[in-house]
Amino acid sequence: MKNSSLFITVLLVAVLIVFTLAWLNMPEFVSHTDLQIVLTTSTATFGTILGIITAGLMFTQGRFSELSSELSEKSPEYITKELSIERIQSTGTLLLFPQKAYTQLTKATIVSEERSLYERIITKTSSMLVDFAVLLNLKLRQQGLSDSSLLVSEMGSDLYKVYKRRRKNIKKEWHLFKMVKQIVDVWEAPTSFSIEKENEESALHSDLNNSISILKLKENIDKSSANMFVEIGQTTEDLDSKISRISDKLDKDRIPQLLSQIEQASILRGRYFYLTLIFIAIPFLINLLILPQLSAATALFFRQIILVTSLLSIIGVIFLLLYIHKMLNL
Amino acid sequence: MVRKPAEERLKALFVKHTEPPLEVIIPILEKAGRGEQELTAQIYALEVSLIKGMREILGLKENDVKTLAKAFGIMMSHYGQKFEPIELSESRFSIGISDCPMIHVGKDVSINVKSKFCDLICSSGLRALKDTFGQDSLTASWDKSLIKGAGKCKVTFELVKNK
Repeated sequence: MKNSSLFITVLLVAVLIVFTLAWLNMPEFVSHTDLQIVLTTSTATFGTILGIITAGLMFTQGRFSELSSELSEKSPEYITKELSIERIQSTGTLLLFPQKAYTQLTKATIVSEERSLYERIITKTSSMLVDFAVLLNLKLRQQGLSDSSLLVSEMGSDLYKVYKRRRKNIKKEWHLFKMVKQIVDVWEAPTSFSIEKENEESALHSDLNNSISILKLKENIDKSSANMFVEIGQTTEDLDSKISRISDKLDKDRIPQLLSQIEQASILRGRYFYLTLIFIAIPFLINLLILPQLSAATALFFRQIILVTSLLSIIGVIFLLLYIHKMLNL
Repeated sequence: MVRKPAEERLKALFVKHTEPPLEVIIPILEKAGRGEQELTAQIYALEVSLIKGMREILGLKENDVKTLAKAFGIMMSHYGQKFEPIELSESRFSIGISDCPMIHVGKDVSINVKSKFCDLICSSGLRALKDTFGQDSLTASWDKSLIKGAGKCKVTFELVKNK
């Protein structure tokens, strides 16, 4: 996602630079024949690029539908077995304990590093709690039961807003996998201490284990956390067993890979489509409009536009290569 | 190359025995003014469990320096610590470490405090290695260069035979 945003920014900057350079460095005189060659070549280039991208778009759409049906086919099994109402409720309820316990601990601590660790735990448990509440809501609605306030009643107003937003984002059946994957991603601990530890998001399981070490130590020093580490340790173990089960099932069914592919396909048919429209289709249309009007008399009038669109066609080729690269990775 | 089941067991072992977050614990103990013994006891217990678990999973039955170096290297890798071997012989091995948990301890903690905790933690690790490998004559030295701002810290383990 970050790479795509970076690419779009680079593309926009490149277009702006090209536009400015073409405008400023325009030669005083360019012959009509030269302009006609440039215009024809860039129009042909744009046409070819558009053709390839349109074909790619159709392929992407096909792949997207295929992936979406594959995920939708798998979802009933998850909904009935892995994510039964009882499991969702019990896991969600388990999350309430650390959320409350760390809110109290945060108030009691004066060491900033410790506080920030506890705050991270609260944020992540809250995020997981919201996801479980959404899953519970979906399950209850699906079975025609009335909504339970079990998890929602524990949310503050801000968290409730997040809950509403995430609930709205589930529009297709397979979207629930995104949510389940999100739960697993928040939970699962990395296996190693990473060099880029400060920059990367730590997992909740790892944070809880870290906090247990701290609480155990504090209990030994001044009895301040009176056996809390035992309760948190037990809750962590229970949560781990429940979430590991879901995670194993996701891995077994290749859900993370399918989600990543569908996300790629979605980017290609969404963002890339609009970029194609703006940076290729528009200059292509401009060229098509100019081409019949280009005579020795009008050449001088159109020369700047022709040079800008011809430079854009070179960027278009780079864009096409990137597009093909993305498509091959689908 | 470690076979997959062993890899999975190792992964589970390292998840179960998480290294205490020194970047959080040290400021707490510094403020409390006590707790060093509890920390070293925790680290000792953790490392003993890890080394015993690793030896069992990987079948590292020998008690020689090369096996010890192997176990130590695997432990360092799983913690994601950057290191490179410098020397390995029958009685001695040394490595250069370019990243260790101590350098992630906040800037507010003085070098002296970091140095004290570095000694405590490394001594606990040495004791755990000595006890699990049954090598009473094992000694170790660490130059603490990383804490002082240098790029690498040299750690040397040696079997002192005539002790």
